[in-house]
Amino acid sequence: MIFEAIIKELNSKFAHSALQFNEALGELTITVAEDHLLDVCKHLKDDANFMFKQLVDVCGVDYSTYGEADYVHDKSGSYESPFKKRFAAVYHLLSLQHNMRVRIRSFAHDDADPQLPSVVGIWAGANWFEREAYDLYGINFYAHPDLRRILTDYDFEEHPMRKEFPTHGRTEVSYDESQDKVVTKPTSYKFRKIVPRVIRR
Amino acid sequence: MAIDGILPEGFVATSADKLINWARTGSLWPVSFGLSCCAMEMIHTGASRYDLDRMGVIFRPSPRQSDVLIVAGTLTNKMADVLRTVYEQMPEPKWVISMGSCANGGGMFADSYSVVRGCDKIIPVDIYVPGCPPSPQALIYGIMQLQEKIKRETIAKKGSAKKPKSLETEVGE
Repeated sequence: MIFEAIIKELNSKFAHSALQFNEALGELTITVAEDHLLDVCKHLKDDANFMFKQLVDVCGVDYSTYGEADYVHDKSGSYESPFKKRFAAVYHLLSLQHNMRVRIRSFAHDDADPQLPSVVGIWAGANWFEREAYDLYGINFYAHPDLRRILTDYDFEEHPMRKEFPTHGRTEVSYDESQDKVVTKPTSYKFRKIVPRVIRR
Repeated sequence: MAIDGILPEGFVATSADKLINWARTGSLWPVSFGLSCCAMEMIHTGASRYDLDRMGVIFRPSPRQSDVLIVAGTLTNKMADVLRTVYEQMPEPKWVISMGSCANGGGMFADSYSVVRGCDKIIPVDIYVPGCPPSPQALIYGIMQLQEKIKRETIAKKGSAKKPKSLETEVGE
């Protein structure tokens, strides 16, 4: 099935306002409103025309500095972000039966407390992916059976992939001889920005 | 090598230091503490081509049976406590080889929030092996350097370190 057919099929099934299609580089991205996410996912998985039985990946995205050029001395590459919301989750789907892939993106309404519905009930493999997105971005997947941190340190408090988090961190660990244990202290590390000499456009 | 008129045939005269250090250098048993890609080079060093066994270096699965700790790879904050525990579980005398850029000083991950910038922030290190990752030859050279270091030690000096408090208070391990 080609992308036009997918778009036509989904548009006939769901309200036009819920879906937004973006075709680039031979890949189709469907931006779905949060309220319709579960319905669209269920349809894509179970409908005989789609059969997206495999969830390849779930990623969190922080769009807060989208479009900003990274290097301080050169802002000429900046452009305005088309995205109004800050956090999104991106789902990559694979249909082995029809040999096609599709990408779904859903923005969370609240930037301060991002919430999205969990798709664990549809694809069981989403469990750890959503835990990872929660751990690194702080996106709360409601109705997730076990939304704990999965990667970061045991008493870690922040969400390190958010844009406001410094890459070198706020704490560091070292062995304290007087307490005879490994302790966590505020970091003494000085941030260094590595700017490439050649910036390709 | 008898001493004429003093010791009969079949006896050797040496100092206790030399004898003990000879024994220690000839049977360094490292605990396998492979953390990432450096572990692959460490495994190659131990395998048939470079064959650490011929130097008396035999990898042990338990720190209780080991006297060398080879920190082979990136040490993360989450792993730091474990590394310290493994080090403290090793009986004296013990030595530490820091293998590769990450263990030496954080390496290419030194800017990261989750990586310890050098395993010497957690445990005392005897030998630093540079490289990313170090080749098996480099690791063997590091082990030979450690042997040279051990040969300079005296039994009076090594092994006098106090028992760590965390092991004294641990009950029912």
